[in-house]
Amino acid sequence: MESLTVTAVVENLDEVIAFVAKRLENYGCERKTLMQIRLAVEEIFVNISSYAYDPSVGPAEVRCEVLEDPMRVIIQFLDGGKPFDPLAKEDADTSEEALMSRIGGLGILLVKETMDDVSYEYKDGQNILTILKNL
Amino acid sequence: MSMDISLIKRGNDAELKLDGYIDASNAADVEKILVDVASKYENLTLDMEKLEYVSSAGLRAFKRVYMELRKGGGKLSARNVDKSIMEILEVTGFTRLFKFI
Repeated sequence: MESLTVTAVVENLDEVIAFVAKRLENYGCERKTLMQIRLAVEEIFVNISSYAYDPSVGPAEVRCEVLEDPMRVIIQFLDGGKPFDPLAKEDADTSEEALMSRIGGLGILLVKETMDDVSYEYKDGQNILTILKNL
Repeated sequence: MSMDISLIKRGNDAELKLDGYIDASNAADVEKILVDVASKYENLTLDMEKLEYVSSAGLRAFKRVYMELRKGGGKLSARNVDKSIMEILEVTGFTRLFKFI
């Protein structure tokens, strides 16, 4: 799997997006699929940047691989921050009342809704979040 | 990534055409502009025909705009919403913020 390691700060979001986009550019993916992948990558990377090492900063590794039969992309996010399983929380409440008071939780909801599979493990001191999208 | 915003004034109401991307890198700047316009007009319409992308950071900006308008009893409307953007609004419950025209 090809890999990119950057400091987990929002300023590096464009670099992470470009890394993933580059891996997908020659597969004739639909615009909507690319948009959804970009969305998932942003939400996950921004979450790592905001919370994993808070109040300090640290590295995040992004791995990306396109597989065939069936055509799909697997993207992994690894960080050495606080153990945190974003999938353990209940889905964000989308009622009107919650909408007005809530601050977080939207990002992971969007990831779950737009990806075909999302999984989490904590291994060797690292949070590993893996997403899969059929292309 | 970038966002161009153009303003059309219609008496006490305003329409903003959003062209480009709203993501975590620019959402704070976009929010500032939108909230500023919302504070000066009664009702606001967002034309999303050229909005290519919005993430949760952009949705939070929309929420602040909605709250700013609500202070003065105004309405937030949206038009020309692309199907993939609409799906994001639906999944998160954010369709509630807008009157679709």
